[in-house]
Amino acid sequence: MAPRHTLSPSLAALMSAAAVLAPDAHAHAQAVSGESDSRVSYRYNEYGEDAFAGAAIGSPDRYRVYSQQFQLDTHIGGRGALDVTATHEVMSGSSPWYVLPGADNRPIQVLSGATIREHRNEVRAAYTLDPGTSASTTFNASYSQERDYHATALGVEHSFPLNSALTLGVGGSFSHDLIAPTDAVLYDRVRHEEKDTVSAFGSLAWVIDKSSVVQTGVQFNVENGYLSDPYKLVSVGDAILADARPGSRTEAAWLLRYRRAFTSADAALHLDYRYAQDSWGVAANTLDVGWYQSLPGGWQLIPAARYYSQRQARFYAPFFVDSSAQRFFSSDYRLGTFGAFSASMNLRKRIAHWELSAGIERYHAATDYALDGADSAVPGVLSYTRAFVGLDYLFE
Amino acid sequence: MRNRVSVYAIGSLLLGVLLLNGCATTPVQPWERGRLARWDMRWDSDPLQAAMDSHTHFSKEGSDGHIGAAGGGCGCN
Repeated sequence: MAPRHTLSPSLAALMSAAAVLAPDAHAHAQAVSGESDSRVSYRYNEYGEDAFAGAAIGSPDRYRVYSQQFQLDTHIGGRGALDVTATHEVMSGSSPWYVLPGADNRPIQVLSGATIREHRNEVRAAYTLDPGTSASTTFNASYSQERDYHATALGVEHSFPLNSALTLGVGGSFSHDLIAPTDAVLYDRVRHEEKDTVSAFGSLAWVIDKSSVVQTGVQFNVENGYLSDPYKLVSVGDAILADARPGSRTEAAWLLRYRRAFTSADAALHLDYRYAQDSWGVAANTLDVGWYQSLPGGWQLIPAARYYSQRQARFYAPFFVDSSAQRFFSSDYRLGTFGAFSASMNLRKRIAHWELSAGIERYHAATDYALDGADSAVPGVLSYTRAFVGLDYLFE
Repeated sequence: MRNRVSVYAIGSLLLGVLLLNGCATTPVQPWERGRLARWDMRWDSDPLQAAMDSHTHFSKEGSDGHIGAAGGGCGCN
């Protein structure tokens, strides 16, 4: 844990008592730890996928993404807080296009050309009224822009205390996406399509004891519009067709998060579990475990691990022998059955007003890692390495 | 079917641990919550990193287990 303002036990207790109307565990964060000050943050991230190792046609060099994030988090007036985040990404490399049946029906992955080079810019803004209390309201807006994709989203969240230990949160959001694929005429792709997403969510946070809190939440998403991937094709019989998915998708997700402090070790355990299921047949389990270890000298070491498993969509197959059996087809590896393990290590160091951070993650996916075992081949599953460095300045 | 069983097993185990933990305690007074207020006890201790994690997983996996407002959709491959 980085050294924040150091308060005497009696002063901390007095400030905590003054915040009695804010029973959420984190409502006291600003009063006790001095984290209410403004902050400017920067992150540089590099993401690189392993080269394709199986039977393939096309460039095996898969995606690389270079991202920069800028964030300003500051108080406005007496009751408000503004959080503005800007992200710029540069993406290049080849990606899975479609799958051909080879000898003995073994899949051969066809990859797009490695010359793809795209940019994405995103701006997010969130204004929170009464931040740091358990009766806060946040208004969100975001805009993401690529040459072929524009997404605009609005949302609102509100939390209020039920009693001294429980805080209820509710919210909703709406997103409108415009899709205009490049080289649409050349590759006979759709020209202009749209997609709408409506989300509603609720959560309940419970202060279990003076060193542990738990939160459970549910979310429902309804998507309507063009939900296929305009850049992916699928092999159906003797034909190569466009990726074709249903025009609507409903998803429900359940989340459980647990935080426990270990005072003697000056550490905290983070345990997150998520289950999500949608109307396409995709069902996913995610388990995240993190250990936040504070060290002398303002250092923090954060090892973490993640396990993810998903069951495939009903209309997924690497390729289809017969086109008469169904209306929808996709060989997008992201809709197949697979599991993934990842491990990460982050390091933070506080020096006066500055905070330095760095981290690395290794992610490896395979069909054999799925909880249910493999249903059918998913030749496009990937492994990647991601790393970041960051610099924060705290105005105190 | 196995997937459903695993969900129930994992969920029940986590809930059981949490409920047993909770039943053994008395209400926490405001002046006892100093440790809970620390940075490392937040739901998202590093929002920028959490946003990048969520974006990466959303782009490369078939399910978005994210809880919260939508936004930042992309045509990611």
